Amino acid sequence: MAIRQVRTIGDEILTKACKPVKEMTPRTRELIEDMFDTMYEANGVGLAAPQVGILKQIVVIDVEDGEQYVLINPEIVETSGSQTGVEGCLSVPGKCGQVTRPDHVVVRALNEEMEPVEITGDGLLARCICHECDHLKGSLYVDLVEGELMDQDAEAAEDEGI
Amino acid sequence: MTKPTKSRELILDILLEVLEKGGHSHVILRQALEKYQYLEKQDRALITRVVEGTLEYRLTIDAVLDRVSKTPVEKMKPVIRTILRMSVYQLLWMDRIPDRAVCSQAVELAEARRFHGLKGFVNGVLRSVSRRKEEFAFTDWSLRYSMPGWLIDRWKERYGAERTEGMLRAFLETPPTVVRCNLDRASLAEIRESLERQGAAVAESPFSPQLLELSGYDHLESLDAFVDGWIQVQDASSFLAGQAAAPKAGDRVLDVCAAPGGKSLHAADQLAGTGLVVARDLTEAKAELIEENIARTGYTNIRAEVWDAREFDPEWEGQADVVLADLPCSGLGIIGKKPEIKYQVSPGSIAELAALQREILSVARRYVKPGGRLVYSTCTISRQENEDQRAWFLEQFAEFEPESLAGRLSPAVEAESLREGYIQLLPGRDPCDGFFIAAFRKQISEKHEI
Repeated sequence: MAIRQVRTIGDEILTKACKPVKEMTPRTRELIEDMFDTMYEANGVGLAAPQVGILKQIVVIDVEDGEQYVLINPEIVETSGSQTGVEGCLSVPGKCGQVTRPDHVVVRALNEEMEPVEITGDGLLARCICHECDHLKGSLYVDLVEGELMDQDAEAAEDEGI
Repeated sequence: MTKPTKSRELILDILLEVLEKGGHSHVILRQALEKYQYLEKQDRALITRVVEGTLEYRLTIDAVLDRVSKTPVEKMKPVIRTILRMSVYQLLWMDRIPDRAVCSQAVELAEARRFHGLKGFVNGVLRSVSRRKEEFAFTDWSLRYSMPGWLIDRWKERYGAERTEGMLRAFLETPPTVVRCNLDRASLAEIRESLERQGAAVAESPFSPQLLELSGYDHLESLDAFVDGWIQVQDASSFLAGQAAAPKAGDRVLDVCAAPGGKSLHAADQLAGTGLVVARDLTEAKAELIEENIARTGYTNIRAEVWDAREFDPEWEGQADVVLADLPCSGLGIIGKKPEIKYQVSPGSIAELAALQREILSVARRYVKPGGRLVYSTCTISRQENEDQRAWFLEQFAEFEPESLAGRLSPAVEAESLREGYIQLLPGRDPCDGFFIAAFRKQISEKHEI
């Protein structure tokens, strides 16, 4: 169990394409555990391995729908519909911006046991799958933002009032 | 990816800003809704309803909490008491949300704000409120209508119990948004059709066919009729002040505290392309707001300027046919729209405002031409700022006399005092904001005693 350092925009590693995972090793298992810890600690709903500096095709997601998804070597095989909404990224602290994404996606991947799985996501889950899979290709949501990148100042302010 | 903002977190943040930091609810609510435009219409409606309701009933809610909780509201941590307040509002006034959902969302919110240790407290207090609902039918007016006692006492003394209770009731109803139609731009039928097509409910105002009452729309600034300058937000009460001003073709009108420009634009409209309206306000930001409204509505006989109304401007001495002085006031007439006003106002702040009004009136009257008119107005219901100011003005400046308003205002308004040149509008009795209007005429044979 460990919290890893989240790389932020400007770090070259976030712009690189990740390599597929060939086999499950204790190191990789530990990485996945750490990715969940890091994501929860930062109040995130999804995290990709390059965000903690590892160029492997691994994504973890928890959009509070009761499931913890681990997607290894994910491939989006189907998209439909569209949703426009504000998105933020743990690697772009304090910012958010409006992004249009498919409203429905189907993704094929391997789970933690390296077994093939197919996950269907709608709404927030679809958005999150797209966002995290983009990380594996070295791209960030900031390139997709419609209009301006905005400040996300809501959280910090009220904590000081406690 | 970061966690997206949820409606209830937004409600909490907005209420913290207003209740704990003294923000203006309408400004903070509007900023939040503008920032989160992607939210569904129903989420936006929920946010607005819970924020406004919690503010409206804050005194009642706190009394409920103090009965149930061992820790008094005042001693609670701001985040916890705000979560409890917004939740009690939902428990007692929003039947369509199940009590269990309210409780569990409150607990989740407490946890999300890192108050793990207080989850049990939040849950316990809210479950008690839910179980003991029938205990909370208060007979005391201050608690039933969530209004500070000293304000109730003042109004009872002035207007009697019945009228005061009518007013207290009216403050808790959501007033429709009133807009004035810019009939140079489009016909009434076109304007109505456009508004209705975009989902707004439109009703005629009892005061004038030029006014429409809107409700049920999502975002006023995105309605075509607004964007195209066909409509301008202006409450009926303020429209009456415009009727009291009644500029005639070719007049020069000076509005000394104009933002956001409702009355100035109304004056420009009445001038039908002739004359000139100069709309002034204290800051660059306010002048810009007026400019925006001028640009949108397309009137050409009006301009905005930054000017402190307390400073005398010799250029305008004796130059204005009409001076509009809608001055800063305690705002008690618009409690229905800005509920936090009732908790923020104090006898001391009213006295300070009254002094400011006198200072501005002493300057503004010098701009009136002999034979010209000064219209003083406020959106409040306080004798000190209204009737007393009128009496003071007439006594202080003998060159002015009251000007009768009989027959000049909408026939929907009736009052003895109109003949003496003033009227106090009261919510509950008059279907508009609480508002005061007084008209003065400067005599032609000016007595030079400045």
